[in-house]
Amino acid sequence: MKTLTMRFIKQRTALAVRLLFVAGLLVVNPAAAVSQQSDSDKESSEPSADSPGNPADSDATERLSLNGLEWLQRLADANRQSNFEVSFVLTRPGQEVIPYLWRHAVLENGLEAEQLNLQNGPGQEMIRLGNVVSVFEPDVQPYSIYADAITGPLPSDLLYEPEALVDAYQFITIGRTRVSGRPAQQLRIVSRDNKRYNYQLWLDEETGMLLKLNMVDLQGALLEQVQVTGLKISLEPAPYFAKINPQALPSAVAMTPKTRQHQWEVQFMPVGMEEIKRETRRLAMTGQVVEYKLFSDGMVDVSVYVQPAQDSLDSDVVLRHSTNTFLSLTTGQIQITVIGKVPPATAYEIAHSLRAVGT
Amino acid sequence: MTQQHEKLSAFMDGELNESEFVDTIKNDSELLAKWRSYHVIRSGLRKEASVMPEFDITAQVAAALDNEATVLAPRSKWKSLPVIGKIVPLVRQSGQFAVAASVAAAVILGVQQANLPAPEEPFTTYQTFGIPQAGMAPVSLEQSNIVGNMQSVDNDTKLQKRRQINALIADHEQQLKLKQAEEQSKQLMDPEANQP
Repeated sequence: MKTLTMRFIKQRTALAVRLLFVAGLLVVNPAAAVSQQSDSDKESSEPSADSPGNPADSDATERLSLNGLEWLQRLADANRQSNFEVSFVLTRPGQEVIPYLWRHAVLENGLEAEQLNLQNGPGQEMIRLGNVVSVFEPDVQPYSIYADAITGPLPSDLLYEPEALVDAYQFITIGRTRVSGRPAQQLRIVSRDNKRYNYQLWLDEETGMLLKLNMVDLQGALLEQVQVTGLKISLEPAPYFAKINPQALPSAVAMTPKTRQHQWEVQFMPVGMEEIKRETRRLAMTGQVVEYKLFSDGMVDVSVYVQPAQDSLDSDVVLRHSTNTFLSLTTGQIQITVIGKVPPATAYEIAHSLRAVGT
Repeated sequence: MTQQHEKLSAFMDGELNESEFVDTIKNDSELLAKWRSYHVIRSGLRKEASVMPEFDITAQVAAALDNEATVLAPRSKWKSLPVIGKIVPLVRQSGQFAVAASVAAAVILGVQQANLPAPEEPFTTYQTFGIPQAGMAPVSLEQSNIVGNMQSVDNDTKLQKRRQINALIADHEQQLKLKQAEEQSKQLMDPEANQP
């Protein structure tokens, strides 16, 4: 009797186990098939993406441990050393999208070459060979100036010298996402004193190249966006650069601003912003004489103008011109104007911190 | 005949599998015309309109002219002349073709013009605003003048203001463009500063 029941139980459990096994197969199988497939995908694609001797896994773990600044240094290295062709669009809310083509190459003689082309309308072409930038614009005679980066929609310190930004901003890694169809690392660039706009940044995991850059105000609303739509990295320089004839470019003009002493100083500046220029000049459009100081933290630049009050605007003005804040106020005998990509409150603080000195 | 039409309709819908029906259509001019007009209707309904329905008109116009031409009696004299009699029909035909073609062109032109957006005429609309309406002329005219003057003064200062703002913004942009250049030039002029 006992053996019989035992046997019966055994049989039942065996049946149950078999049933469970079948059910499990049914449930598990699709997932297993998919994971197997993706494994084989990885195996087939990774060796082609990375050099065969270097296991991709160690690279990936290395990347995961990079901090914000190291990511930006990777970006700088990629921008200085690789041959690339990037299409990107610049967007500001409520305005038309502006498309750009950006090429960079290291030529055979070791010289860096770079091109930035505005793709819509009559366009604008900037070509850099080494430290000379030639600018071709409609209605303006072509000219060349000395500069080791093209001044475009992307701040050059962000692209080439992230160390210069450390005083003013901190870099925070957020995590991995997908941008422009590629795995990307997201970073935030936050001003140390909360007086400036902040940035969100997406870098390509594989190459370190920039994929997306958002400028957001202190409430997190988007002010300006650069989105890469095409990225091509090649071993050889793009054929475009072979067509440039350096002799045909306008010869570079050296600019030495005459530094003048002013009778005023700006007492307040956001952390990390430094004066890089001061002079007295006439405005090209109206001929008014202005005293001028330019401040920069690497990401944004702020201009401060001081002029006699008699030819001033008769009221105080605050307005936004694309992403620039324009603030102008009259105190006593002088009109103070602050222009730059900073929040209006910061511009106001800067304008109010002017003090007379030296007299 | 109606049976043929039904067949044609079925053939168009792809419900008829007789391939020899194509030959029937080809040989029957009436069926052929129906075939064409069905397609025109269908593409019209689908808003494709790849077939120009106007060409049907040209055919009709040509046919009408062809019929009418015989009414021009005096010229029939020429037919009695042996050589010219043979040439004239040719001339007449080509003339008709020209007429038919020009009609077609006119039809197409008409369609194009009808599709053009309504032309804007800012000048005329402006004038109708400017003409003082009878009845309220003297007072409102004066008032509008005063308002206009005030506005123009206002506009002047506004323009002046805008010009100054633009001048400052343009200068700011200019400075940013030259910022790097000046830093670089400074380094180039003063090589000692370049060294760490």
